Amino acid sequence: MYHKYEVDFLLIEDDHEEAELTIRSLKRNNLVNKIIHIDDGADALEFLFSEGRFEGQPKNHPRMVLLDLNLPRVGGLEILRRIKSHNDTCTIPVVVLTSSAEERDIIESYKLGVNSYIVKPVNFESFSKAIEEMKMYWMVLNQGPPYPKP
Amino acid sequence: VSHDLRAPLRIVNGFADILAQDYREQLDEEGRRLLDKIMNGARRMGILIDELIGLARFGRKEMVMQETDMNLLVRGVIGEFFTTRSEQVSIKTTALPTVFCDSGLIRQVWINLLSNGLKYSSRQAQPVVEVGFEDAGMSYEFFVRDNGVGFDMAFKDKLFGVFQRLHKKNEFEGTGIGLALVKSIVARHGGAVRAESEVGKGATFYFSLPKTAKDVS
Repeated sequence: MYHKYEVDFLLIEDDHEEAELTIRSLKRNNLVNKIIHIDDGADALEFLFSEGRFEGQPKNHPRMVLLDLNLPRVGGLEILRRIKSHNDTCTIPVVVLTSSAEERDIIESYKLGVNSYIVKPVNFESFSKAIEEMKMYWMVLNQGPPYPKP
Repeated sequence: VSHDLRAPLRIVNGFADILAQDYREQLDEEGRRLLDKIMNGARRMGILIDELIGLARFGRKEMVMQETDMNLLVRGVIGEFFTTRSEQVSIKTTALPTVFCDSGLIRQVWINLLSNGLKYSSRQAQPVVEVGFEDAGMSYEFFVRDNGVGFDMAFKDKLFGVFQRLHKKNEFEGTGIGLALVKSIVARHGGAVRAESEVGKGATFYFSLPKTAKDVS
């Protein structure tokens, strides 16, 4: 059976203002239908693996995950590790979207199989442009994986 | 640390930007004036953070000492940063010696001193910035001299402190970090900085580098 993506982006970001700015930039010029924003690392894992308060709900894999690294309860790197090590989720492209240009974080993310690592520009105009370019690349130019088989 | 400083600023910038783009027409003149103040403040904060991060980074960076031809260094800096304004300003250089130093750091010293010289002489009918040096025995003392507004020597001790400014914001832009960075870099080389000036008669900024320089940081 062929499944389609319902959720384009799962945005995991604890700062609500940052998230609003990111979502605004994602929604600019359409292309994106549904974005789910989760502000906590543990909740994000529960959503991705239908556990905890998402238990029993059908799996709803996002087309992409946008991941902040500095998150409460479960950090971004741990989420990345869990996504990439589980058969159901390992094909989902994960883009780290962070303010941290720490070499340690970058190396660790790639070791864990991150698909892209973007350091958010400070300047809002550049930030907004970066988000849009990222969106165009992943939504238009890149051929993503098919929806994971249930 | 740097990204913790930058993140809230992006939020101020971002929402001010959205307000300006989507609601500007709904604001009256006073509202728009206030919005511009917010955006301008955020812009200045951004420059300040970048410069502070630069100051911290240059203070930490491991020094790579090498024989450095000051002529090439100064010519490179002038070529890269100051050629567009060269029609109005004349930058005079003399032949400079080769010094054992961290060329990346000393390059930053020249950038800061030359841009100061240009900034403070920019209101003169004929701005002149002069680069030279003197052989002081154990060390070379380099200088950047301008014919700009100058400063009162009573404040000479304040010049090289962080956030110290001798001019009003609306007279000359600046964060008060440039000379602090110069002092920190020169001190790491075992050198010293000083300045001479008279109000309205230009200023000269000196920095010395030991001939047998070593990393003293």
